[in-house]
Amino acid sequence: MTSITLPILLLLGGFVLQLLLGRWLTPVGKGVLATAAVFASFLVTLTLVPASMAGIAVEAPLLPVWDGPFSIGLRLDGLSVLFMLMGTGIGAAILLFSVRYMEHEEQGTTRFYAIMLVFIAGLLLLAGAADMLGAYLAWEVIGLCSYSLVGFWYRQRAATDGARKVLVITHLAGYGFLIGLVLVYSRAGTLVWTDPAVGTAFTSGVAALFVVAAMAKSVMFPLHSWIPEAMNAPTPVSALLHSACYVKAGVYLIARMYVVGGGQWHAALEVPLLAVGCVTILVGVIFAMAQTDLKRLLAFHTVSQLGYIVVALALGSDLGLAAGLFYCLSHALFKGTLFMCAGAIQHATGTRDLRELGGLATAMPGTAKVWIIAAASIAGVPLTNGFVAKWLLFGAALDKGLLAVVLVGWIGSILTAFSFLKATVNAFYGVPSKALIGRPVHEASPSMLAGMGSMAGLCLLFGLAPQLLMVPVVAPAVRSLGFDWAVQMSWLGILTDRGGIAVTVGGAVVLASAMLGLLVYRLAQAPASGLVSVYSGGEPLPAGDRPGAVDFAEMAESAFHPVYSLDPDPVFLRIWRGLTRVAGAAQAVAGGAFEDRPLLAIGLAAVAALAGVWLV
Amino acid sequence: MDMVLIPLFLAVALGVGLYARAIPQGNGGWWRFAAATVALAVAARLAGHGWAGTLLASSAELLAVGMVWSGGTGQAHAAARKYLTAVLLATLCGWTALALIHLGEVRPAAPWDRLAVALLLIGVALKLGLVPVYFWLPAVARASSAMTTALIVAVVDVGGFCELLALRDVAPWIFTDFAPLWIGLAGLSLLGAALLALAQRELKPMLAFSSIDDMGYLLLGLVAGGADGMAGAWFGILGHALGKIVLFGAVGAAEWHLGRAVTLDDRGLSTPLPVASAAFMLGALGFIGIPPTLGFVGHWRLYLAGAELGGPALLAVLYASSAMALLCYVRVIHRVWLGPAESPVSGRPLPPAAALVLLAFAVAPVLFGLVPNALRPAAEPHPHVAELASNPAANPAGGVK
Repeated sequence: MTSITLPILLLLGGFVLQLLLGRWLTPVGKGVLATAAVFASFLVTLTLVPASMAGIAVEAPLLPVWDGPFSIGLRLDGLSVLFMLMGTGIGAAILLFSVRYMEHEEQGTTRFYAIMLVFIAGLLLLAGAADMLGAYLAWEVIGLCSYSLVGFWYRQRAATDGARKVLVITHLAGYGFLIGLVLVYSRAGTLVWTDPAVGTAFTSGVAALFVVAAMAKSVMFPLHSWIPEAMNAPTPVSALLHSACYVKAGVYLIARMYVVGGGQWHAALEVPLLAVGCVTILVGVIFAMAQTDLKRLLAFHTVSQLGYIVVALALGSDLGLAAGLFYCLSHALFKGTLFMCAGAIQHATGTRDLRELGGLATAMPGTAKVWIIAAASIAGVPLTNGFVAKWLLFGAALDKGLLAVVLVGWIGSILTAFSFLKATVNAFYGVPSKALIGRPVHEASPSMLAGMGSMAGLCLLFGLAPQLLMVPVVAPAVRSLGFDWAVQMSWLGILTDRGGIAVTVGGAVVLASAMLGLLVYRLAQAPASGLVSVYSGGEPLPAGDRPGAVDFAEMAESAFHPVYSLDPDPVFLRIWRGLTRVAGAAQAVAGGAFEDRPLLAIGLAAVAALAGVWLV
Repeated sequence: MDMVLIPLFLAVALGVGLYARAIPQGNGGWWRFAAATVALAVAARLAGHGWAGTLLASSAELLAVGMVWSGGTGQAHAAARKYLTAVLLATLCGWTALALIHLGEVRPAAPWDRLAVALLLIGVALKLGLVPVYFWLPAVARASSAMTTALIVAVVDVGGFCELLALRDVAPWIFTDFAPLWIGLAGLSLLGAALLALAQRELKPMLAFSSIDDMGYLLLGLVAGGADGMAGAWFGILGHALGKIVLFGAVGAAEWHLGRAVTLDDRGLSTPLPVASAAFMLGALGFIGIPPTLGFVGHWRLYLAGAELGGPALLAVLYASSAMALLCYVRVIHRVWLGPAESPVSGRPLPPAAALVLLAFAVAPVLFGLVPNALRPAAEPHPHVAELASNPAANPAGGVK
């Protein structure tokens, strides 16, 4: 029982120590303490893997007496363990990165590390909650942590505006979760995920409410527009919350819904979810192509990648779920790495604007290598975990005959590769921009390199031997959702139990991806300080010229301009303005009629009350 | 003895006293009226459901009017007159209704039962400042010091609401047989006050409308009854009391710093007043009903009660109100507290005693949100209520409905 609650208790212990010792510890000391707490939690979580592989769900109370008949308990199955490993493993690497990244912050480091620890604890509670109420509590706690961390630099307008948007969009949509569970409880009298009564009460309407909440957390179109604004947070926050973990809360919720009533809701929501996922893939990547801010570019790629994950889960098959969950872990690894690289660049150069970067491969060779591995992974280049994830997803979609989904995924992958080609070339190759000339640019510190390098290494490891992740972590998670799935997979993620068109089409995808990988490889081999020949999509460029970030952004805007009108923010703004106008009108009427003429208000109330009691 | 509300009122009195010593809230008259108001409210809770308790509670309300009047300005006198009008009419209506139903012991024959309910509806609406007879609360909030309004909302109104809770136990027919009227009153307050709160530019009246909105929530729980409704109303009212002390206290601190009323045009107050800023944020999160605060415990139970009472339609109303409350508070947090200060930091700093009070009242709802059972009322009701509830005459067969 101890090892069940211990991962969370270790994190909360770290949180308390941060508060108690914050006054005396240096920023580095606080970082080391936080990293140690998360790493210890990760090690304890690893001990849960054998039970998960055996298909055993272990239970323990967390708050045995909470509110009347309600208690908060844990029930850890394969899905829980997967998300717990992701939260603590990626969390430990990113906090290790933070030790040096945050050391120069003059104030707020206690707050930073304390909230990061609560966030990870909240994620673990979400993943392990035995019932919907515990999950909702954790859902909102991690939402609050996200809000606080995005607004970390609370004296800067951009940071607070970002935090405001995060809270409003995710919380308003999150009420869907609350209303859904209230409806379930009023019908079933229980909220336990696995209770058959809950399965009966979990109608497709309730499922839709859950999905809306999940869409906002997992940045599905049109509820995705908070994530670019959240990039004003410190980079470790962007890496942990807005790439690896926080945005996966919605993914978790969708996956967890499969244990309710045998996933009956899926029949009604499969097509809408697939549609939302596919649109999100394309909108995310097309918006990413137009960005010149490195973190905003990564944020829009998060949108796109989450689209892939949701599509995989929406397929509702064993292979689809395996693909989605493997993709979820892979995305945490490669996107967390990319964000840390972006943070290292900003740390070293003082900017993350692609227009002001260039030639960094010379000064930051380690960071460049790590970036290229992660960029190859997100683009789906073979030998990386990103390739395996896409391969599984395409296989699952082909199994169901959904060629359109494969086509969307393929287009998304191509555009992703182009977008990262732009970012890689503009940041690391060519000559340094004028803004960087004369500035001492330094390589990331060893601990920062260790944090991001370890994750990049895992991208390669799980690309070469995905079974290492599939057998102990992903397959038990799929089985915990009620699917009887055996891993039949060789090296590089090639499935051994699939044939026919799936393999043929898949082979073509592999070939295309390999060629893209070759392209990236050749670019990486070019002399770092020289100019790079880049295929511009048209006439050859004059000697010595190269397409810059702005050229690329303009090209994307020109090619895809109708898509950019799909920004939901103007709609949200119109709703807000309409609401404030209605409020103003209500105040004008009520102020004149009720506040200034109390007797009129009392008279009306009296008449209404007297009439009412006789009419009822 | 009420082992939750009486300690709560005493804690509120202690907190407000410390705060008012650090940041003056009024003259000597204010102190006397405030102390007497709290003392009578505590005495009313000690007396429990009965004529003595009702008399003491009404006296506390009248003394609260004195607190407002002691402000001394023309605006304060005008607000006090409005408040006095509401208190007198509420007392008249309430006492008449209670006399008709013998404190809930009997249900009179028609048409007296209907008349009693109508009078109760009006009395409750006036006492709690519900829509549409809310005229006194925003006026009091504008004209009085922050802690004056906080005491009225957190002690006087909370005491009045707990009287209603007792009446719900003793004479449930008042609420169940006339549920549509009570739901209508609650819904009107929920949506109307949330909308009106959004229209305010000054923070104190905005908080007053937010109180009215919250009272609508609590009234719904009371009408729904049952385990969820009553628990929701109970935890909700406790969260309401703690939250309003924090929110009004933080705004009072900002007024103390600026030397004038705080509006949406102010910026970046978190720089000179970080503790007040953090306290306001925590208080607001509790009021919106975000876990793990006590406000969430109340709200989630009220959502359950709402689903039982009105199904998805009532849930939609609750959602709309919660959404507007969120937008309202988030706007204040991000316009007034967070972000860069527009002018150089100057003004009076927050005294340590006031900061301590704000922190204590801001953290308490979070701690109690983790262990809400610690705040459950005693299993046994007050002896007088138990006697009434066990008396068969409380639900006479001679009723009309």
